[in-house]
Formats: sequence, C-alpha cells, structure tokens
Amino acid sequence: MLRSLALIPHLVGIYVRTRMEYRGAMLLAWLSQAFSYAAMYAAIAIIIFRFETLGGWAWPEMALLLAFHLLAYSLGAALSFVQFRDIEEKVRLGTFDAILVKPVGPWLFIAFSGLNIGYGGHIILALGLMIWSLTQVSADWTMLTALYFLAALISAAMLTAALMTMIGATALVWVRSRHLFSIFFGFWELARYPLNIFPLPLQVLMITFAPLGFLAFIPTAVALGKPVPLLGDWAGPASLAIGPLFVLIAMAHWRHCLRNYQGAGG
Amino acid sequence: MLPIISADGVGKTFRQLKRQSGFSGAVRSLFSRDYSEIRAVDGVSFAIGAGEAVGYLGPNGAGKSTMIKMMTGILTPSAGALSVLGREPHTHRMTNAAEIGVVFGQRSQLWWDLPVRDSYDLNRHIYDIPEARFADNLAYLTAMLDMASFLDRPVRQLSLGQRMRAEIAMALLHDPKILFLDEPTIGLDVVAKDAVRKFLAEINRERGTTIILTTHDLVDIEEICPRLIMVDEGKLLFDGELKRLRASLGSRRRLTLEFATDPGPLVLTTATLSADEGAAKHFVLEDETVSLIDVLNEVGRGHGLKDVKLDEPDIEEVIRTFYQNKPSLAGAAP
Repeated sequence: MLRSLALIPHLVGIYVRTRMEYRGAMLLAWLSQAFSYAAMYAAIAIIIFRFETLGGWAWPEMALLLAFHLLAYSLGAALSFVQFRDIEEKVRLGTFDAILVKPVGPWLFIAFSGLNIGYGGHIILALGLMIWSLTQVSADWTMLTALYFLAALISAAMLTAALMTMIGATALVWVRSRHLFSIFFGFWELARYPLNIFPLPLQVLMITFAPLGFLAFIPTAVALGKPVPLLGDWAGPASLAIGPLFVLIAMAHWRHCLRNYQGAGG
Repeated sequence: MLPIISADGVGKTFRQLKRQSGFSGAVRSLFSRDYSEIRAVDGVSFAIGAGEAVGYLGPNGAGKSTMIKMMTGILTPSAGALSVLGREPHTHRMTNAAEIGVVFGQRSQLWWDLPVRDSYDLNRHIYDIPEARFADNLAYLTAMLDMASFLDRPVRQLSLGQRMRAEIAMALLHDPKILFLDEPTIGLDVVAKDAVRKFLAEINRERGTTIILTTHDLVDIEEICPRLIMVDEGKLLFDGELKRLRASLGSRRRLTLEFATDPGPLVLTTATLSADEGAAKHFVLEDETVSLIDVLNEVGRGHGLKDVKLDEPDIEEVIRTFYQNKPSLAGAAP
C-alpha cells in the first residue's frame, strides 16, 4: 500500500512531462475550456437577472451552485474522466493488457498516470466564482458550515470519480462503454440547476439511480440553509456519505469487471 | 528439476454472442440471448523448467496469446490448474508481475512522447529496483542492444527495430525470472530481427532467464528455442525438441541426382524416388541414419553422375508438414 502511494508522484510526474511536450496546446486548452464555461455561466446569469430568481435561487446563490458543480466535477474528473473514458480504446487495442502485467494496481496506474492537469482552467474559474459568490450570499457561515462545505465538496468529487470508474470499468466486460458517459453528462448538465425546478420523477432519479443531485445542488442548498426536496434534514448527512458509499460500490464493480476481463481478442 | 511453469489441463472459454447476418439479423441480435462458447485453450498441459527457452507456436486463433495472457495473470483460466513460479498467476497477479517480464510485439509499453530513459525510470519505481542494480542492468542492456544512440530520444522518433530493442530492455531491467514475448520480431527488418534473436539467445544462455516466445517467424524458434510447444484450435499438438519433431516427421531430406544422360529406372534401398525427369532424378531420404555417402555408394560408378544436391528440410517445411498431417500426429504430444 505504502509502495503504491509512493509511486503516485512518479506516475503524475511522467504524465505532466508528457503534457509539457505540447505546452502551447495545453495552455490553449485551458483557456478555451475556461472561456466556454464562462460564456455558459454568463448566459445563466442573464436569465436570472431577467427573472430575478431560478427556483428561488438568486444569482449569487446560483453562482455558488455553479462554482461547486464545476469544482467538484473537476477534482473528480481530473482523476478519472479521460482515463476511464479511454479504457475501451485500451481494451480494444490490447494496451490494457500491458498495464495488467505491471506490479501495480491498475486503477492507481490509470488514474494517476493520466491525472488530467487540463482541468486547471476549470479549477481556476470555479475557485474565482466561488470566492466571489461566498462574499455575496447572505448565509450565516459558521466553522461547522465551512467544514461541511469542504467535506461535501470532497464527497462530491469522490462521487464523480466513482461514477467515471464504474462506467469505464464496464468496458472491461462490454468492450465499449462510451455511450454511458453520454448518459452521465446528460444528468451532469441538469445537476447545475436547483433540483426543485424539475418534475418529481426526475428529482427522484437524481437522488437515487443517477445521484448527481449530490454533485452540487444538495450540498450547496444545505450550506445556504435552503430546503432540499425529498431528503429534508437527511440531505446533509446523505451528501457526506454519498461519495464514500459510491467509492465502495465502484471498487466492488471495478474488481468484478477485472475478474471478468476477457480482452478484445488477439 | 521442479518446473517453474506448470499447466495441467488448462482451458479458457470465451462466451460470444451469436451474430446474425444482415440488417434484420443485427436488430435481432440486440434482443438475442443466444451465446456460443469459444474454447480458445482446451485442456493444455505442459511443464517448463527454469532456464528453458520455449517457442509457443500455432496458426492464428490457435490460442497462443490467450495462454500467454493466462500465464502472465491477465486472464483467468476457465478450467485446469496453472502455476507460474509456484503460484496461480491470476490470483497473485501483482506478485507474479514483479518476477516476470512481458514484451508485446504489437503493443508498446514505452511512453510515446518521452525519451526512452523516462519510461525506464518510471519502471525503476514501479518494480522497486535498487538504484545500483538498475544502473548496472541499464548499462549492460544498453551495450548489448546497442541503445546508447537513442536512449535520450522520444519513443515516437525511434524506428520499429530500435523501439523493440527498447521494449525488450525495459522488460529485463528488473531481472525477471521469466520473459514472455508475444511476437517480438513482427514487422522488423532482417537486421533488426537478427539482433533481437541473438540477444534473446544470449540472455537465455548467459543469465539463465526462462524465455517463452510466441511467433509466426519460425526462424525465431530455430535460433532461440530448442523446445517447441505447438497448438492448434486450443489443443496441444506437440511438445518437445525441434529435432524430435523433425525426427517424428521423418527427416525427409531431398536429394537430386543429375546425370549426363538418362540412366533409366533407378531403384535404391537408401532413398525413395519422388520424381523422375530422365537425367534428373529426385529422391527423399526418410531414414535419418542414411548419409549421402551411403546413397552414392549404392548408386555406384558408371551412370555418368554429373551433380548431387542435398536439401535439408527447413523449419518452415517441418512445421507445414506437421500441421498438414496433424490429425495423425496429435499423438506426438507426450
């Protein structure tokens, strides 16, 4: 275990060196991603300014929700999205076999040897928006609220990485899993709005089978003292438990898929 | 000597959805639960001792790569017992991986955009190789494989031959007890193939590294592996030395006698006539103990013998003959 942890800086280091071979492209990607998110947030802001609130959320609260959504997603996806999206290609080309013949856990190798520093633009934008919105919202912040906010952020990042892992692991058995990422991103788009603006069946779905309601809305609502549909007072503890719970489920799913890995032939 | 690899009735079955042809078939397949079982490896048994060099041979789809994947812990056998270095490779995948080296001819393990040395450095940490041993091994492999000129070049700029040498060196940096190579010479030019073969034969001889090699290039087998395991359709057909395979098929050397004029019918006890072109007569020598001198003594003087040509069967011919006659030869396996 300690040896595996000691390996992480070397895996991250080699990936960063790979990305630095194409510095210009990396900086351009950071800028373009940050601009595209900023443009989207500007559009949401314009709508809210026009109607004043969205589901009872004013612009500074919405800005906090959007910042939490982007930051939690970026932290989780940096460890998982591109790496696990590309598993199906690794399976198809047989390069996943080359990982399995190393004396290292394949999840650790895949996650950290591809730790995506391309999310730097997302993180900078999210942090900027979060700092600004925290100075604007009228919530009564205590040390406990701040600790909850931080723990819920980590839990949401864990949820993201766990869901990405589960989707990617499916490729070990089915060879293709990219279509499942499309479903993930469908719900991920909805997760940046207050849950209460959606019809009840969709609310239920986003708390249970596609639990991306926990990615931003539920923790932000709890921190701001706003009501959370369906969960009520359980929303706080549930948002802290969801990340670790899904990590356990993802670990079991990953191991199951690894045991049943058959390659893609050849 | 205790074997370091033993396979006892090992099998691997893949479940595959039965596909139907045409557009309507594709639609029906969406709702079909009709699977067929493909036996990629079927009841294979063998034992390999430390320091052996074994060629694992078979046509496409024979189950070679599947067997290598099971021995390296990538795949779990569906049947039988498999042991590598005293443990089940799939249940002790990481421990097994620390003591073996694997080279995939068609899948690079090097970091494409970085210098070769960076990939080696990462492997030093992955395999926890002490710094002094790493430096010694790197110096030895660099010299043996003539890699000094490209060690600091990005992998993407290497020729295929250079890349394969770099892959083999990377698989050996941690002093593995067993080196598995899946088609290591595929796509290489003759010079690069020769360098790879000579090196593999040398590390097997000098360092005692056990080598398991799959290949389509039979010269690889001839130059590296005294022992041959032949499979087809997942089943083991032959396990033994190459020279025993030649003997089991009959040595089948071909002899051509050219005369100044047609000497007429020529019947010999030492050789069998296979073709008669008048002045040129073609024989097959099926008895390995019969020498050219024995044949010439029997032919005797007075026929106006002008030229003699004796062809040893090359390995390609031996293997081709084996597979053409495989139903009757399956018993060649021990």
